[in-house]
Amino acid sequence: MINLRDKGAEIWENQGRVGRVVLALCGVTVVASLPFLGGTILNTPIADYESVLVYPIAMFVLMAIGLNIVIGKSGLLDLGYVAFFAIGAYTMGLLGTKTGLNTWEILPIGIAMAMFSGIILGIPALKLRGDYLAIITLGFGEIVRIVALNLGALGRSEGILNIPTPPAIFGIEYTFDSHRIYYWTLLVLILLAIWMVRRLSARRAGRAWESIRQDEDAAELLGVPTFRYKIWAFVLGASVGGAAGVFYASKTLFIAPDNFTLQISILILACVVFGGMGNIWGVILGAVILGYLPDRIRFISDARLLVFGLVLVIMMNLRPDGLLPRKKREKTIDKKDAT
Amino acid sequence: MSSSLIQLKNVSMKFGGVTALSDVSFDVKEKEILGLIGPNGAGKTTVFNVITGVYQITSGEIIFEGKSLSGIKRYEITRRGVARTFQSIRLWGDMTALENVITATDTHKKSGLVLGLFGFPVSRREEKRDKARAQELLDFVGIGEYSDRLAKNLPYGVQRRLEIARAMGAEPKLLLLDEPAAGFNPAEKVDLAATIRKIRDAGYTVLLIEHDMSLVMKVSDRVVVLDFGQKIADDSPGKVQDDPRVIEAYLGVPENAS
Ligand SMILES: Nc1ncnc2c1ncn2[C@@H]1O[C@H](COP(=O)(O)OP(=O)(O)OP(=O)(O)O)[C@@H](O)[C@H]1O
Ligand SMILES: [Mg+2]
Repeated sequence: MINLRDKGAEIWENQGRVGRVVLALCGVTVVASLPFLGGTILNTPIADYESVLVYPIAMFVLMAIGLNIVIGKSGLLDLGYVAFFAIGAYTMGLLGTKTGLNTWEILPIGIAMAMFSGIILGIPALKLRGDYLAIITLGFGEIVRIVALNLGALGRSEGILNIPTPPAIFGIEYTFDSHRIYYWTLLVLILLAIWMVRRLSARRAGRAWESIRQDEDAAELLGVPTFRYKIWAFVLGASVGGAAGVFYASKTLFIAPDNFTLQISILILACVVFGGMGNIWGVILGAVILGYLPDRIRFISDARLLVFGLVLVIMMNLRPDGLLPRKKREKTIDKKDAT
Repeated sequence: MSSSLIQLKNVSMKFGGVTALSDVSFDVKEKEILGLIGPNGAGKTTVFNVITGVYQITSGEIIFEGKSLSGIKRYEITRRGVARTFQSIRLWGDMTALENVITATDTHKKSGLVLGLFGFPVSRREEKRDKARAQELLDFVGIGEYSDRLAKNLPYGVQRRLEIARAMGAEPKLLLLDEPAAGFNPAEKVDLAATIRKIRDAGYTVLLIEHDMSLVMKVSDRVVVLDFGQKIADDSPGKVQDDPRVIEAYLGVPENAS
C-alpha cells in the first residue's frame, strides 16, 4: 500500500518557508470553500449538506484532534471524552440563557470548566493505568450525563432550550441557518487546535508524552514527571472538547442529555483509531470520513454503528495503525536492518 | 579519601517471603567506579531498583549527597542526580536515538509546556542547546552516526550504548549501569571498558553491575560482592578475587569446608 503519510511529509519537508505558507494557504482555501460544493457529487442526500459540514464533520474533526492528544499522543485510553463536550455545551447553555454573556465570552469559561473537570477527573484516574483508566473515564462520561439528566438547573431530560447564537463578530452575522458561517468559525478553532498540537509535539511535552506512551516506568526513571504530563494531556484534550461543546450548544440552540451519550465517545474514538492514532492528519481524515459517509450513503446512516464496527474490525486487521499512521520514518533509512 | 556520594545503610528488601537484600551496607565514593558483582539472583538489580525508587526498602536507609532518598518520587531522584540503564533494554523504540537522549535531558529544564507552546525564545534556545548536548553524548559513547535512527531499529550493541547515553542525558552525578556489556563479544567489551573509564574521567561516579569478571576487575576501583542478598566482600579488585568467600559463592562450597 502506498505510504501517503510519508509522501505528504516529504513534500512538506522539501519546501522552504514560502513554499510551506503557499501550501498551507492552498489547503485552507480548498477546505474553506467546501460549503460552495453543495451542488456537486459531494452533496448529502440525507441531511442538508452545509449543516453536515458543521455537524458532524467539523465538530468530529475538532473533537478527534482533542481526543488524539490523550489517546494518540500519551497513550491514555479515555472512553469518556464526551463528558468534556457536555461540560462545554452545558456551560454555554446555562450561562447563555441565564446571564447576559454571549458565546464569545462564554467560550473561555467553557474551556476553563472543561479543563478544570479534566484536572478533577485526572488526579484520581491518572494514577491508574490501562484498563482501569478506561473504566473510570467511561464512568465519568456517564456520570456527567446522568447529573445533567437529574439536575433541575440543567433542565433534566428536557435539557436547555433557546440557547442564543453567537453575536455578530467583524460584521459577520450568525443566524440559525447560516451554516457556512459556523463552519468557517469551527475551521478557525480547528486550525488553532492543529497549531497547538503540532507546536507541543515538536517540543518537550511531545517527547514526554511519547516516552510515557512507550514505556511509562522508563520515562519516570529518566526524570520525566509522568503524572504531570498525563494531567496536561488530559487537560488540553478537555479544553478542545469543551470548546467544541460551547460551539455546539450555540449552534443547535437546544441541548439535552441525549446529545451526550457514550456513543459520542465511541464515535470520536473510532475516528482517532480509524484515521491513525497519534498522527493529527490521520485523525482529521478519519473524522472527516466517519463524519461524512453516514450522511452520504443512506445505507450507512441506517446501520451506522454496525458499519463503523465492521470498518474498525477490518481496519484493525489490514492496517492496525490507521489510515495515516504516526511517524515511523527515519531520515536515513537503512532498509537492511529495518524491522 | 574522597567523600561518599551515596551510602546504603543496613538496607533490606523483602518481597513477601523472598529476601532480595538483607542488611546490605556500602557506599560509592565520588568519581569512583564501583563494581557490583554476584551470582544470578544475588540482588544486584534490586540494589538499583531500591536506589532509584522502584521499590521502597523494607528497612535501612539510603543517603545520597547527605540526604535520605526514602519517599522521594522516582523522577525527583533522577533530578537529584541518579540515572540508570536497564538490564533488559528499555529504550523508547519509536523515538530516534537523539530523541531518546533529549527526552532525558529535559529532566532539568526550566521552560515547560506553556512556554514551549508559544515558542518563547527561552524554549527555542533550550531546544537547540539540548539537541547539541544530546548529539555530544551520542558521540561520546561512540554512536553519533545513529542519531536519526529509530531506537528499535538499531543493532543490539548500539542499543546498549544508547541506554548509557540516555542515562547520561539526565545529567546524573551517579550513573548506574546494569550489565552494559551483556551479550558483547570480547572486542566490544574492551571498547566498553574504555568508554566506562572515559565516563568516570568526565566527572561521573559509576556503579557497575557486570557478570564478566575480567571486565569488572579491570575497570573497577573497588568491588562489592553480593550473594543471596548479603554483602560478602567489599575491597579492591585484587583482594576480592582472592577472597575465599567470593570464590565459594561463585564455585559452590569447596569439599573440605566444614
Ligand atoms: N519484584 C520482585 N518480586 C519478587 N521477587 C523479586 C522481585 N525482584 C527481584 N526479586 C527476587 O530478588 C532476588 C534478586 O533479584 P535481582 O534481580 O536483584 O538479581 P540479580 O543479582 O540482578 O540477578 P541477575 O544477575 O540474574 O540479573 C531474586 O531471587 C528475585 O527473584
Ligand atoms: Mg540483574
